[in-house]
Amino acid sequence: MIRLAAVLTLAGLLLPQAATALTVTDQTGRRVVLPGLPARIVSLVPSVTETVFTIGAQDRLVGVTDFCDYPPAARQKPSIGGMISPSLEGIVTLRPDLVVATPAGNRHETFDQLGRLKIPVYLVNPVSVQDVLDLIGRVGRLTDRAEAADRVAAALRERIQAVSARVAGRPRPRVLYVLWPDPLIVPARGALVSELITLAGGDSVTADGGQGYPRYSMEAALARNPEVILIASHDATGSPLVRSKWERFTQVPAVSAGRLHTVDGNLMHRYGPRIVDGLEVLARLIHPEAFDKAAVR
Amino acid sequence: MSGSPSASGARLAVLLAALGLVVAVVAVGALFLGSARVPPGDVLAVLTGRVRGVDQVVVLSLRLPRILAALLAGGALAVAGAGFQALTRNPLAEPSVLGVSSGAAFGVIVAQVFGLGGGLVEAVGIAACAFAGALVAGVAVYAIASRGGGLPVHTLLLAGVIVGIFFSSAITVLISVLDFDRLGGVVHWLLGNLGPIAPASLAVFAALTVVGLWLVVGQARPLNLLALGEESAQQLGVDAERLKRRVFAGAALLTSAVVAFVGPIGFVGLIVPQVIRMLLGPDNRVVIPAAVLGGGAFLLLADTIARNVVAPAELSVGVITAFCGAPFFIYLLRARAPEAGL
Repeated sequence: MIRLAAVLTLAGLLLPQAATALTVTDQTGRRVVLPGLPARIVSLVPSVTETVFTIGAQDRLVGVTDFCDYPPAARQKPSIGGMISPSLEGIVTLRPDLVVATPAGNRHETFDQLGRLKIPVYLVNPVSVQDVLDLIGRVGRLTDRAEAADRVAAALRERIQAVSARVAGRPRPRVLYVLWPDPLIVPARGALVSELITLAGGDSVTADGGQGYPRYSMEAALARNPEVILIASHDATGSPLVRSKWERFTQVPAVSAGRLHTVDGNLMHRYGPRIVDGLEVLARLIHPEAFDKAAVR
Repeated sequence: MSGSPSASGARLAVLLAALGLVVAVVAVGALFLGSARVPPGDVLAVLTGRVRGVDQVVVLSLRLPRILAALLAGGALAVAGAGFQALTRNPLAEPSVLGVSSGAAFGVIVAQVFGLGGGLVEAVGIAACAFAGALVAGVAVYAIASRGGGLPVHTLLLAGVIVGIFFSSAITVLISVLDFDRLGGVVHWLLGNLGPIAPASLAVFAALTVVGLWLVVGQARPLNLLALGEESAQQLGVDAERLKRRVFAGAALLTSAVVAFVGPIGFVGLIVPQVIRMLLGPDNRVVIPAAVLGGGAFLLLADTIARNVVAPAELSVGVITAFCGAPFFIYLLRARAPEAGL
């Protein structure tokens, strides 16, 4: 024991930079050693880019991906390419002192290569609303904007609670959320969208169908008599065309009641601050009666 | 090719009736089975118009069109395979080996990228782009492989594989360059997706398949003569060039219709004609009509498994055709190939 302590002390003496270095634990539990607070961050994760802008730390952001399109100012930052195959040369040229990445969207090869180039990589992997709020705090501490981040997170928490208060005690309509229409892909167990639907006072009919976002049986989904159908819009699927495919199923309660809606997928599928906007959209569509003028008063 | 015409005609009728019965049994099974767990009594009630509601949607709007699409696609792929095999006199020829499927798939993705209205316009437009892609790929393969009027088998296969790889790479380029949100379903579609097909699309699919079948099925006898060699066929009164163009157009049309409406499903075009040949001999007058029904039954069976085995989630039908088809094919190859002379 004493010998171990002596070795550790010796190691500490031999590595003077370790004293000034900053050791942090990332969201996946890895220890990341930084020379100091990062001033040149490359974000490989669109939701992290959004978070950095939301807490006002964008001065420290020197590179983003092609998918970082929000806020619009994020497009002004130099891009290092896509999430799956970012340009390593592009990243190195930006001389980052930290790269923020995610195992859900980037590749392990990228982290390994950056590691060999002695560029620290901080991994994030939010899978729940709580994780998203946690992520905001983490980005705040990394960028010396902890107070701003806490304010943002607190405001988001308040809005989540406000939604909960509105929908509390109301019957939970059965909701079918269509992430992709053909083949049908839906949020299931452990998916953030499933959690948002629950928070918005709905009962997702596909919540039991496997992990994450599985390909799902259309007949199983419709046989559960969804009372609300929400179709996520992407560029190609927000059109009336996709709606019309569903409108012909007039025997389904959601369709006969006119409760077939298109929602902005960017609000629901990115693990950034805008998920609360998404939650509010969901709650208004699932419980319109809780948000009409009478209820506001 | 032996026996008097009337005897072989009677044998063919019995065979087709038996295959028709298989198709009917599989189709009825598919209509009653599904993750929605509609009780059999309710399925019957829906069919007789006594029940409305969600059960009716499940049985009539989801299962029935899907069954029809699977039968059409399976039959079309098997006949396209039999056609290409007879045309090239090569048992390995089939839409995906010859690169024709990849060409059609590239056409479909280009059509999706540019977005084509909706409904009927979209269905026809996507099918047209698929056919154009299939023709370009097929003509390229022919042009690369043909040598002094002949079509050496190994060169043809090599050309098909190369053209297929080229179009697959072109698809990968499009997928990499374009926004994932725009093409998110492509990965699933590339494995074959017998989804709930809309009535307008099903009608276009059926019409194209009928035209393609008409182009190939009627040519069974001349294709038999072509098997003797082009010169012999010419001497027996077959216009070999015209026959090849017609069968090629038909097989390409069948392939592109399938790719446009349910995705590039592999294996059916290769395995179904082979199995039929192993069991019933090489006469195209038997093989091609039997492929229509046998291909349909095989793909429908595979799709029924795909949508039930991990319910309420689903598998891609292409996974099942390969997973079930490959072992069965290997069994037949070991057990029957010596007799069939393969």
